[in-house]
Amino acid sequence: MKEPENGEIERAGYDIGKTAHRADAYAKVTGREKYAADYYDGEFLWAGVKRAGVPHAALTGIHAEDARALPGVIAVLTHHDIPGENRIGIIRKNQPVLADTRIRHSGEAVALVLAENRETLKDALNRITLDYEALPGVFSVEEALKETSPRIHEDNPEGNVVKAVAVETGDSAKAFNECDAVVEGVFEVPAQEHAYLETESGWAYQGEDGTYVIVASTQTPFRDCFEIAPVLGIDPAGIRVIAPYLGGAFGGKDGITVQCLLALAVLHSRGRPVKMWWDREESFLAGVKRLSAKMHYRLGAKNDGEFHALECRLYYDGGAYSPLGGEIMTLGAEHAGCAYRIPNVSIKGWCVYTNNPVGGPFRGFGVPQVTAAMEQMVDMAAQRLGIDPLAIRLKNAVRKGDRNCLGVTLTNSTGAVECLEKMSSHPLWKGRAAWKEEAGPFKVRGVGVACMAHAMGYPPMVADEARAKIELTVEGKIRVYAGVVDMGQGNASTYAQIAGYVLGQDASAMELVLPDTARTLPSGSSSASRTTYTYGNALIEAARSLEKAIIKAACERVPGSVAEGFLFLPGKVRHTPTGRELLLEELAAFMDDSARVTTGYFKMPVVREKLDAIYMGPHLIFSYGAHLVYVEVDELTGQVDVARYLAVTDAGRVINPQVFAQQIEGAVAQGMGYALTEDFKVRKGRIVTRDLSTYIIPTSMDIPAIDSVPVEIDEETGPFGLKGAGEIGMSGPLPAIANAVSDACGTRVFRAPMTGEAVYGALIRKKEEGTVL
Amino acid sequence: MTTVYRPGSLDEFWDMREKYGEALVFAGGTDLFVKLRALNKYPPVLIGLAGVKELQSIEELSGAVFIGAHATHTRLLSHPRIREHFPVLASALRSLGSPPIRNMGTIGGNICTASPAGDVLPPLYVLGAQVELRKKDGSRRVPIREFILGPGTTALTDGELLSGVWLKKEDSFTIHHFEKVGQRKALAIAVASLAALVTTTETGIVEKARFAWGSVGPTVVTSQDAEDALVGLPLGLKALQSIVPIVERSVSPIDDVRASAAYRKALAGNLVVRLAGRGREPLRA
Repeated sequence: MKEPENGEIERAGYDIGKTAHRADAYAKVTGREKYAADYYDGEFLWAGVKRAGVPHAALTGIHAEDARALPGVIAVLTHHDIPGENRIGIIRKNQPVLADTRIRHSGEAVALVLAENRETLKDALNRITLDYEALPGVFSVEEALKETSPRIHEDNPEGNVVKAVAVETGDSAKAFNECDAVVEGVFEVPAQEHAYLETESGWAYQGEDGTYVIVASTQTPFRDCFEIAPVLGIDPAGIRVIAPYLGGAFGGKDGITVQCLLALAVLHSRGRPVKMWWDREESFLAGVKRLSAKMHYRLGAKNDGEFHALECRLYYDGGAYSPLGGEIMTLGAEHAGCAYRIPNVSIKGWCVYTNNPVGGPFRGFGVPQVTAAMEQMVDMAAQRLGIDPLAIRLKNAVRKGDRNCLGVTLTNSTGAVECLEKMSSHPLWKGRAAWKEEAGPFKVRGVGVACMAHAMGYPPMVADEARAKIELTVEGKIRVYAGVVDMGQGNASTYAQIAGYVLGQDASAMELVLPDTARTLPSGSSSASRTTYTYGNALIEAARSLEKAIIKAACERVPGSVAEGFLFLPGKVRHTPTGRELLLEELAAFMDDSARVTTGYFKMPVVREKLDAIYMGPHLIFSYGAHLVYVEVDELTGQVDVARYLAVTDAGRVINPQVFAQQIEGAVAQGMGYALTEDFKVRKGRIVTRDLSTYIIPTSMDIPAIDSVPVEIDEETGPFGLKGAGEIGMSGPLPAIANAVSDACGTRVFRAPMTGEAVYGALIRKKEEGTVL
Repeated sequence: MTTVYRPGSLDEFWDMREKYGEALVFAGGTDLFVKLRALNKYPPVLIGLAGVKELQSIEELSGAVFIGAHATHTRLLSHPRIREHFPVLASALRSLGSPPIRNMGTIGGNICTASPAGDVLPPLYVLGAQVELRKKDGSRRVPIREFILGPGTTALTDGELLSGVWLKKEDSFTIHHFEKVGQRKALAIAVASLAALVTTTETGIVEKARFAWGSVGPTVVTSQDAEDALVGLPLGLKALQSIVPIVERSVSPIDDVRASAAYRKALAGNLVVRLAGRGREPLRA
């Protein structure tokens, strides 16, 4: 393959709604793009972590003499070597950087080793031994909530509860008596591993000015400074975090992984840079997981299919520490009724501590869990009432102006109904009966649907804001300072597209500066389906300011001209009345340095009513989706084959159709793994599926063709009408596949993943009991 | 530090073997390197067979085919003799690992790893394969079922090398069938597998049958009783279901992280039942 000449890719100026090649595509396909661990040179040290290996214990001693004596070992650090505070945590500051008195999960970090090379590092880690007294562990939500169970965090006044929430709207107790049909179900969903291509990694050194520079695979560079600094006992201004392109994160790098350890290592590295790079096994052991959940549901409806009452009891396992577990569960509770109008609701949720691996964010936060349950409940209600599953969803789906389950009025774009309608006219929906009839010997076929909602941005108590910065360089290029991380979803490219469109430029005129706390402005995390919405809005403002500044400079160059007379073209502006063209480079030379740089600010709007409806407040803007799946179940093995998939999405207007489709397809593939094969097994606090040979993520052979259809409803507050698209696709596959499996088999598997063995078991039980659910 | 030697011929190999008694020998390395990484123990010397010219050939010799131990799965899959005469083997190879693993992995390596889940093993059992074992000063042939003794253990003695596999052409079977149940469609270790060769009369009566199951016992499992019970019956649902209890008695699966013993036992029987859907048409892989 020939390397394209600069600018050959994209000659015409950027447009909105048209695919533009990703700025990172060529470098990634050819392996040239650098991840955090690739930013090294010269003489550097390796840092690595000794991990506990036991799920719950009192730590009484750390023996590091043998490790320290090993030639090539520079230092072995323990909690005694932490100059500042040995506790981190975004909401609850209770996780030690290096364990001091207690071990709360098998992956707990106990000692940090610096060595000349990887081999010595490994050897040294093996030589460290621990003294501890094993403590009885807590390994399930049920155990955690028992009064008599051991307390995992002694000082937590709520016992083992991280957070509990309750939502009551209407009068659900009374309302259930008014229902014609009430269905009930208990659903279980597993912990899920992110399994990103790039495991947790980073590179750190002390700059000449004394600043600690940490290049890390992180979604949260700005927030990280405020977590790292207290550990070192210094001011956050003394920390600089740089986040290059990430090789996937999906929430697993929303917060601290290697950052504090690297900073600590640099204090003892004798002036040399330090690199840390977890291998796959360490990533499994120490990285955060999607919270497993157990959910009790009751849904009541009238004879015509109208939902009247909902009761949910949600139990999320937060693991040993829960950096955002309470918030994850809360978002689940907020979405417990999915995209439906239900006037009488009782939702209670708990997130608890256990001695299982640490729970944390994962694409969808707490929403895939509840959607898995609710969307199966909807099918169960439809079946009980003899109503078509799409019809019952259309009947109850929220529309603009409706109140959702929290009683919050949906004042912004609300496309649930449009998604369902689009699905109803799709050939896959219309052709479903014919397809089902063509099953071969020992095969049964089923079709399932699911409808989802996903809130965009942070809850109202946390300002969801971004500050964009853009520059006309002296070379005449437009440089976008992206303060939000691109973890692989392509948002940085979309920023180039947005700014390029506003300023009439093509790809060759654009430059991107990726997040760097010393160069870009604080713009929040790359998470919560907010990255392009919030930063994109700020960037449009910054780009329009720069447009004005450039035109002002142009007016000064063309005597007698007015601002309206200028047209932006790639690399230049044209004064249309005279036809005179001015190169951007030329204009830049005449502009003040300060005039060549502009900024923009945006803060996401929040609800004005029911702010107290739930912890941290309810969300205002949601994306919606409707998914349809064809499955074929093998009666001899129980194996589920996903044959076709349709994902209809309301994420507002689409800026780049390719990047949009990648987000939907990626989320659906990840959702299929969640539905069918991914089972993060932990027994008594020890991980059973320790690597990718036993933790089964889908391969390209397991993922069928995915039709992704956007329903482009304008979101008036969004950048060019856009809403978040990163997470909405994640929640659909599990319930859609579960409903399809139920359609095929006449029985339901209430626990995910729906492995061949699980489905086969359900088929046998059905045969033996002769029952149909 | 590990030194890897790559002899170019068997003569060179024997010299190295003598010189480095503690060396581990590997073919494609797709099993060995995973194991070494997991144990974090690397031997000082490894001997790789990729360059040994005598181990690469695939030849047809008077009614039989010799497959050199270092023939990769990819080479076997693309070989016309294999596809023509041993579709059951080709089908199993297609289910093995992924393209990169098939490019590296070899038939000899799959046999010597002696995993009950080795994908090529059930086909080799039903095809009556013999393995050729060489010493510096001689060779012997052993039926595969006598060569594999247990999980990870074989009849290979000190100073012996598995040099290849002999397969008699089996054109008399009208049905060549292989099915693997894995946890996903590629890069999957067998939860259970079945290789079957069946010949029926014009009217569909079973004349002879051979079955071999993977992952349902310490080694590949065969069942003469099940095969005998099927002979004389019309190949169909009823006859196949009638031998399921015999199959279930023949296997001795275990629980592990991938599946329970009970599920594996059920699969062993059900995979035989699958043949009912296959009709009489010869199944070419």
